[in-house]
Amino acid sequence: MTTTSPTTKAPRARGQSQLAVAWTQFRKNRLAQIGGTFLILLYLMAIFAPFLAPDGLSTYSTTNITRFHPPTPIQFRDPETGAFTRPFVYKYTQQLNLETFVNEYRPTTTRCPIYFGVRGDEYRILGLIPGNIHLYGTGQENPECKVYLMGGEALGRDLFTRIMYASQISLTIGVGAVLISTVIGLMMGAMAAFFGGVVDTLIMRLVEVLAAIPGLFLLILLRSVFPQDINPIFALYMILGILAFISWGGLARVTRGQLLSVREQDFVSAAHALGAGSGRIMVRHMLPTMTTYVIVGLSLGIPGAILGESGLSFLGIGAVEPYVSWGSLLAQAQEGGFSSITQRPWVLIPGFFIVFTVMAFQLLGDGLRDAFDPRKRS
Amino acid sequence: MIPFLLRRLVQSIPTLLIASVLIFFVISLAPGDFLTPAKLNPNISPEQIEILSRNFGLDRPVWEQYFRWMGNMLRGDFGLSFQYQQPVLDVIWPRVKNSLWLVLLSTVLFYAIAIPVGVYGAVRQNSLGDKSINVVLYFLLGFPSFFLALIVIYFILQIRNATGLDVPIGGMTSNNYEELSGLGKVLDILKHLIIPATVLAISDAAGLTRVIRGQMLEVMRSDYVRTARAKGVSERSVIWKHTFRNGILPIVAGIGGLLPAAISGAGFMEVVFAYPGVTPMLLAALNTQDLYLVAGFTVITTVLLIIGNAISDLLLAVVDPRVKVA
Repeated sequence: MTTTSPTTKAPRARGQSQLAVAWTQFRKNRLAQIGGTFLILLYLMAIFAPFLAPDGLSTYSTTNITRFHPPTPIQFRDPETGAFTRPFVYKYTQQLNLETFVNEYRPTTTRCPIYFGVRGDEYRILGLIPGNIHLYGTGQENPECKVYLMGGEALGRDLFTRIMYASQISLTIGVGAVLISTVIGLMMGAMAAFFGGVVDTLIMRLVEVLAAIPGLFLLILLRSVFPQDINPIFALYMILGILAFISWGGLARVTRGQLLSVREQDFVSAAHALGAGSGRIMVRHMLPTMTTYVIVGLSLGIPGAILGESGLSFLGIGAVEPYVSWGSLLAQAQEGGFSSITQRPWVLIPGFFIVFTVMAFQLLGDGLRDAFDPRKRS
Repeated sequence: MIPFLLRRLVQSIPTLLIASVLIFFVISLAPGDFLTPAKLNPNISPEQIEILSRNFGLDRPVWEQYFRWMGNMLRGDFGLSFQYQQPVLDVIWPRVKNSLWLVLLSTVLFYAIAIPVGVYGAVRQNSLGDKSINVVLYFLLGFPSFFLALIVIYFILQIRNATGLDVPIGGMTSNNYEELSGLGKVLDILKHLIIPATVLAISDAAGLTRVIRGQMLEVMRSDYVRTARAKGVSERSVIWKHTFRNGILPIVAGIGGLLPAAISGAGFMEVVFAYPGVTPMLLAALNTQDLYLVAGFTVITTVLLIIGNAISDLLLAVVDPRVKVA
């Protein structure tokens, strides 16, 4: 048995699968890789949200109401000596301004040191791994102090905590909706192409109708099927279902067209001749011709669905308390009339998370599209 | 022209019918029926409920209810809004008109922005201007329209606080609207419309600009453009007559498909800018389970959309002489 000899023979040219070609192309596209990396980071953030966030999902004090608490800047230097110390924030007090009747927050000189890995609210990562350690916090000894990295929201909860928890919903609902609508679209398209006749007409008419009703109104209409005060968890599944239901039309149409043209090709006749059943031909021979389209469609459809979900939640027909999504956090910017937005610009922060996520998906999607498109190869 | 329009209308009837069936059955899936909220409302007498119940045949099987509802609608009776205690059509119509203004103005701005920018990007491909526009557009694609609107409001408020400039950013009319003259009223509404319409146009134009640029680039490589250049046609004529008119054909054909998105987008602007359009009322109707109102709005906007699609087909015939309307 030889353990030596690194082969000097040139590797035999092997046929590459389509996916392998696409992967090589994708490896060349720096922007798409950046998008992909950001997405991995975002999803890690969502998974470890309870650990990253200093508070629990919906922790707020009923005695010390900190409505729209401003962000507390983290101090690294001792104000007297100028030397580096353990990071700390100042404690804030509230005062009613008697001229404007607005509660004003002012920093006091009391310092609250920030500790890392403090124990706090209990949580379960992915619903399995229990824990109570949080990345940062002010610890148990001074409960009056809190770090508001990105300010507070309408009920005085820490906005950063809420954004972290919101990422779990914002990042999953869009993806889930697109996955489900892809399955529906493929099935409907395949059925229309396969059965033809009445089924075909019915399905294609339904697609036409779904396209004819403005999306937002269709969403509102479908939302009206469910009572207003439904279980918050059920509400999430409902948005998922509704988003999936209104967006399968385009894919169904493309699938039908593609399958109708594939049906006449030789490999399908060959499968027929070999005695394959219609189900097998459909699933094993015809639908796989859609792979590329589906992969690209998925990655380009997800940002749209994320925007759709954020819009629904913004309008108040999406995620319900105590659950939040980035869209419903943005709805707070509207509370109390227009003019108040200048006093609390930090409520706009969740929007940038939406933009960032959508951008990352777009970069990845464009990269995948180019990777699968033979005309774009270099 | 007229036979074409008629044919289009006839063709759209099945779509409309199925849409109405869908809308009706979705609504009849809702908990309770049309009258459940009314029964809980002390302002509506039992006799009224009795009359409504008979008018809409709520004691009959679902399919028969549908035909009654449909028949009533054809006669212009969309039912009664329980919240407003008025026929649905009277409540809806002013709102629909308001929304139409917003959609129309933003559509005009949408093309006024997307066409020059897209053409510029194609004509000066890979120039600094083109590249920077591309980057900005890519960012804009990721912005939800309502978030863009909130940011715009934030900056306008900052400007207003700093300079005292009076830029209206909410509602549709000023407080002194009633005292204004005819022209003053129009200008006042326009002043309120311009910011939501611009924000909507910009957030939508991001996608179209990229499409126009791509189309223009594709057509510019074609033989007839080279021929035109070779025979000495002026550059302006090459770009606008030979390239642009052919490049926008797929876009004109797709205008009808853009309309639903425009209407939905306008909905978000209406909510953010507190504009008295369709969507804020629809959301309120959803909260109060005012189902006839929800159904009426959806039916009317669907009808408007189908009309819009017919118009976009006509437009396509104007732009592309090869398409025959008759």
